[in-house]
Amino acid sequence: MHPDSNLEILMARYQQGDFAAATDLIERISPQLHRFFLAQSLSRTDADDLLQETWLRIHRVRHTYRPGEPALPWFYAIARHVRVDHFRKSVRTTAGERQLEARFKDAANVLRESDHADGLEALLAPLSESQREVIQMLKVAGMSLEEVARATSSSVGSVKQKVHRAYKKLRETMSATRFRKGQGGGLS
Amino acid sequence: MKDEEIDEVLRKAGRVPHDLPSETLQRVADSIKPSLRPVRPLPPTWVMTGGLVLVCAAVSLAGAARAGFFGFAKMDLLERLLVFPALVLLAWVAGSAFVHEMIPGSLRRVSPGALLGFGSAALLAVFAFLFRDYRTDHFFSVGIVCLLTGFLHAIPAALLGWLLLRRGFAVNSVSAGLVAGVLGGLAGVGVLELHCPNFQAAHVLVWHTAVVPLSGAVGALVAWTVRFRADSGARERTNPE
Repeated sequence: MHPDSNLEILMARYQQGDFAAATDLIERISPQLHRFFLAQSLSRTDADDLLQETWLRIHRVRHTYRPGEPALPWFYAIARHVRVDHFRKSVRTTAGERQLEARFKDAANVLRESDHADGLEALLAPLSESQREVIQMLKVAGMSLEEVARATSSSVGSVKQKVHRAYKKLRETMSATRFRKGQGGGLS
Repeated sequence: MKDEEIDEVLRKAGRVPHDLPSETLQRVADSIKPSLRPVRPLPPTWVMTGGLVLVCAAVSLAGAARAGFFGFAKMDLLERLLVFPALVLLAWVAGSAFVHEMIPGSLRRVSPGALLGFGSAALLAVFAFLFRDYRTDHFFSVGIVCLLTGFLHAIPAALLGWLLLRRGFAVNSVSAGLVAGVLGGLAGVGVLELHCPNFQAAHVLVWHTAVVPLSGAVGALVAWTVRFRADSGARERTNPE
């Protein structure tokens, strides 16, 4: 592997003001972060906005990354903060805004169902938000348990517990789907 | 269904490429380009933690210098050797937790709630071991004064700590506020131990120790209020009517 392809090295170069390194990071990290937002029950438009917002935040606080530390948890910690911020702002809305949002969410769900019915987002849909994010970080981003703990500001034990519960729920859902498919197959 | 099968399903779903339009990536790159200049990374954790402990020590000494070192003068050697190193150790743990709260993606060794519980319990244990005078003279009237004195010194310590870490970025401002409050509270306890000559066990256990949870709670509340007001302001800007 070329040393420059390493995220940590790119991040150090980005801190030194290297635009090529910044562009490289944007190209490599953005699809992951976009997918992270999509898996958190967000519409594509919202995910686009949050991605832009995340990069602005990353840019503003890029000095808080410390060379030698894993870069991926740092990116995800900021993305998670932006997402939580977004949810908090949308939860604290007036009654009228709430209705609008409900309508918007319905539309977003329809859009998501049609767009990604067989994708990761649909698979993770039965899980809670916190379970979804740890499964996504572990299985899609390929982060270790310790890195997920860093990104979510929690302990490794707590991450393990969330994964265990998520797998339990996924097992139930997938088994039920198989059973339904089996029954359907028998009838046809 | 086995875990390995779920792993496989997730791996397959995760492998599906998720490409973004090049215009989206270009827009992100263009938005950061004008302000792209070299930045100085934050110093190592131990440097920032050391700075926070020094801030706490400075506030405690300044407070006691103004009010008088009556408590320190009345203490015997064992009391001095146990109380002050314990406070420094707890301030180091709280300082390190505060630094971790201000750096995204850093490994949290102690949660803010556990820090508050552990810090208060450790102080209670040290005080219960050392102070054996079980009288309760003027328990409330004297106690409230100590609690307020400690809390009033916790405020500048927490604010100076925040100022020291102002280049950091708290992904959870309420947790960071709580930890800053606990750290400030320890500086407040430091003032009380140096100044207060009342060694009645109930007084020290209740009123001196209470400075830590009180400051922690106020720190979390202040951070929550600031965040709430910022959210409200942002909402009004996006939706003025």
